[in-house]
Amino acid sequence: MTDDKDVLRDVWFGRIPTCFTLYQDEITEREAEPYYLLLPRISYLTLVTDKVKKHFQKVMRQEEVSEIWFEYEGTPLKWHYPIGLLFDLHASNTALPWSITVHFKNFPEKDLLHCHSKDVIEAHFMACIKEADALKHKSQVINEMQKKDHKQLWMGLQNDKFEQFWAINRKLMEYPPEDNGFRYIPFRIYQATTERPFIQKLFRPIASGGQLHTLGDLLKDVCPSAVTPEEMWLSNLRIDLRWRAEDSSDDSWN
Amino acid sequence: MLEGTSGDHPVQPQPRQGHLEQMTQGRVQIPSSMAGEEDFFLEEKRFKQHCEEFVKHSQQIGDGWEWRTNKDLGDGYLSKTHFQVRNRHIAQDLREKTSDNIEETLLAHVEESLDDSQVAGVCTTEEVIRYEYHVLYSSSYQVPVLYFRACFLDGRPLTLEEIWGSVHACYQDRLQEGPWDTITQQEHPILGQPFFVLHPCRTNEFISTVLTGPWKHNRHKNYIILWLSTVGPVVGLSVPLSYAKVAPEQNSSTDSAERALN
Repeated sequence: MTDDKDVLRDVWFGRIPTCFTLYQDEITEREAEPYYLLLPRISYLTLVTDKVKKHFQKVMRQEEVSEIWFEYEGTPLKWHYPIGLLFDLHASNTALPWSITVHFKNFPEKDLLHCHSKDVIEAHFMACIKEADALKHKSQVINEMQKKDHKQLWMGLQNDKFEQFWAINRKLMEYPPEDNGFRYIPFRIYQATTERPFIQKLFRPIASGGQLHTLGDLLKDVCPSAVTPEEMWLSNLRIDLRWRAEDSSDDSWN
Repeated sequence: MLEGTSGDHPVQPQPRQGHLEQMTQGRVQIPSSMAGEEDFFLEEKRFKQHCEEFVKHSQQIGDGWEWRTNKDLGDGYLSKTHFQVRNRHIAQDLREKTSDNIEETLLAHVEESLDDSQVAGVCTTEEVIRYEYHVLYSSSYQVPVLYFRACFLDGRPLTLEEIWGSVHACYQDRLQEGPWDTITQQEHPILGQPFFVLHPCRTNEFISTVLTGPWKHNRHKNYIILWLSTVGPVVGLSVPLSYAKVAPEQNSSTDSAERALN
């Protein structure tokens, strides 16, 4: 795991330059300037946009402001997806900065989860961690941790503290030496083209012959239509944070 | 493959069909003589069978459940819609109705209560709530999970706070201990829309109490019925007593296959 520290840091510190613009139909007292921000790929929109909210609320009247929500080219952005996933899914082929529209009215109840407080984000984040550990360790590692360890994971994410986060997360990424890996690999495959939000199935890291499964094996098994033989490449399957969400279109593998 | 050992390597070569199928088919329950701690996981094939049985009985008694299949991946879920009235002044028999007769019954009762001087309040349409319940399978926890959404007749969805508030009084203590671990809003894994979810983490805990010791005979009963009759009432869903009559599976082919693998 120590050799991979560079990779872990690169993943953690990945950023997407973003331009936030207020939706034109929002009622303002004066012109709203766009707001620029570098968004962390591994975090959540509602966790890192307090400044964006404050910036636009300055030009609006209190009664015109209800729950904030974000949209890209007409599509409401699911705040509970990691920012990097949202970008890869919706805007990876467009020029930077990523242009997001900010709304304070007409919350799309049928599309988005509510996010009235940071508690909601924390609950969601911890639920993802727990589910991943159910797959990796039958929940043994996460359940043996104390509440303060869970808090440390969350605070590490919230405050962008790599060392603080990984001090706890490394335990979730270990397995006993006699095992060859996790019980099952936690993964989800997101495709922009389907109604179904993601594909998630049980998948073992080791094949019956004892060899390690590769990412190509996983894709072949789970969504064969997404990959052609020429495009398959071999690599060890990596689980970094919670879910690795890749694969944004049916006909090309990035 | 034996449940409970930490290595969990397959003990025999797997045929080429795709190990995903084998993984879901090969899960067996450990006989109680072998394991100290017992796991009562429900593997996916059995989940589907029990849902089938469940729907069959529902159709017999007009309980409104149906099975919906997702065309992309072939998995599916149970679904039921019903209406509930929050107003206490309405008679008990109005509490659960199918969508067919709710409006007629409502109007009849509104008229009645207008005439009855002893009734303090009148049931207005804002108090009628449309509940939609889905039972999905969680491959991560290997248990069924209850998803639901609720809205008033004018389309306004209930908030999380309103949902928490509507949890039956006898479950409120448990809810207060950890509301964020119990009922939260989540994305429906097949439909991609916001639903409320009753968290599955504790399911294995309480299901095991229903399946051990004096209740061992329950292991061949319908898991969905056992589970839903326990968790459903927490969120306003009741399972009529006649489900208890559903005959337990007797040496079905799945059971013998599982024993052969064991």
